Amino acid sequence: MEGKIIVITSGKGGVGKTTATAALGAAIALEGKRVAVVDMDIGLRNLDVVMGLENRIVFNVVDLAKGRCKVRQASIKDRRIENLFLIPASQSDNKTALSTDDMVRLCKKLRQEFDVVLIDCPAGIEQGFENSVIGADEAVVVCTPEVSAVRDADRIIGLLYARSITPKLIVNRIVPRLVASGDMLSHKDVVDVLSIELIGLVCMDDFVITSTNTGTPIVLDRDSRAGQAFRRIAARLLGNTEIPIVDPLEDLKGFWNRISSKIGLRKT
Amino acid sequence: MLNNFFSKMFKEKEAPPGEVAKKRLQFALVYDKLEVSDEMLQNLQNDIVDVLSKYFEIDKASLRLDITRQEDLSALVLNTPIIAAKKRGQAPK
Ligand SMILES: Nc1ncnc2c1ncn2[C@@H]1O[C@H](COP(=O)(O)OP(=O)(O)O)[C@@H](O)[C@H]1O
Ligand SMILES: [Mg+2]
Repeated sequence: MEGKIIVITSGKGGVGKTTATAALGAAIALEGKRVAVVDMDIGLRNLDVVMGLENRIVFNVVDLAKGRCKVRQASIKDRRIENLFLIPASQSDNKTALSTDDMVRLCKKLRQEFDVVLIDCPAGIEQGFENSVIGADEAVVVCTPEVSAVRDADRIIGLLYARSITPKLIVNRIVPRLVASGDMLSHKDVVDVLSIELIGLVCMDDFVITSTNTGTPIVLDRDSRAGQAFRRIAARLLGNTEIPIVDPLEDLKGFWNRISSKIGLRKT
Repeated sequence: MLNNFFSKMFKEKEAPPGEVAKKRLQFALVYDKLEVSDEMLQNLQNDIVDVLSKYFEIDKASLRLDITRQEDLSALVLNTPIIAAKKRGQAPK
């Protein structure tokens, strides 16, 4: 059976596409799939450092797409997770190094080698976006609860629909405390405005910063709320739709209830 | 101190930032969808000139096509001096 290709996109930069790609790639591989994560941010590669694989790069996605190496040569095996591979971006080329034809050919090759391919799309709506989307079967739009990010997401969603892709939404960097006080857009507001299917909610989490610093997969950390949220999203992406989406606000209340019952303020 | 108290009191009356964000977002998206690219406007102008030229002699150079926006509606405004109406025989059926 041929693998499926999912593009992780957003429009705006800095909302968590690369974080999501690394985390979802790891989580899907832990579910037993053979996974490739492809960094399409050509000229500004990031995914390699987030995954802690920056000093193993020999070939990159441009080499592979141009036929200068084989899929196996360009795929860097993850240090910890079985069946997880990174195809890094090239750092010396620019975004016009590849054409959509190159990408269609590349995606065809990758489908034969992997069960799931995640494409980390660069910010913007130019060539890099076109290239990332052209071979994709599905799309995940990452958005933060900010006016500018949601507006850009809306634009991207329109462009995806125009290519007959119905995207799913991750709302990332939610701060439950600020949502509760009315200072931040709630995920409901975001879903309401964008009106696409929600596939997961990820809170602002210090573990994202520490795991990025050390280049270790956040999904292996049982204590990380973001890591666990990404695991649930991965399961949903694989078709396990029964897993409920946890509202971070409910979770927050749950947390206070647990604390207050522990210190005897409230009976459970 | 007192200052702080007053500013807090006033702040309470404003909508919370999250709500303000949602309103601004909804407006921005509506606004974005009303935007027309220069290229499309130019094409439209060319087409309009073609159609008008069937019926009128117009001064093509001074024809102006603009989009004006008010808070909740946008309008297409065409301005063109007419030199002469074409004679019946000249107009297409
Ligand atoms: N849930 C989160 N909690 C805390 N920090 C986050 C979270 N998601 C992303 N970040 C941080 O935000 C920054 C941008 O994330 P990144 O994944 O590089 O965005 P993009 O690829 O969309 O540009 C990074 O510093 C990352 O560590
Ligand atoms: Mg990135």
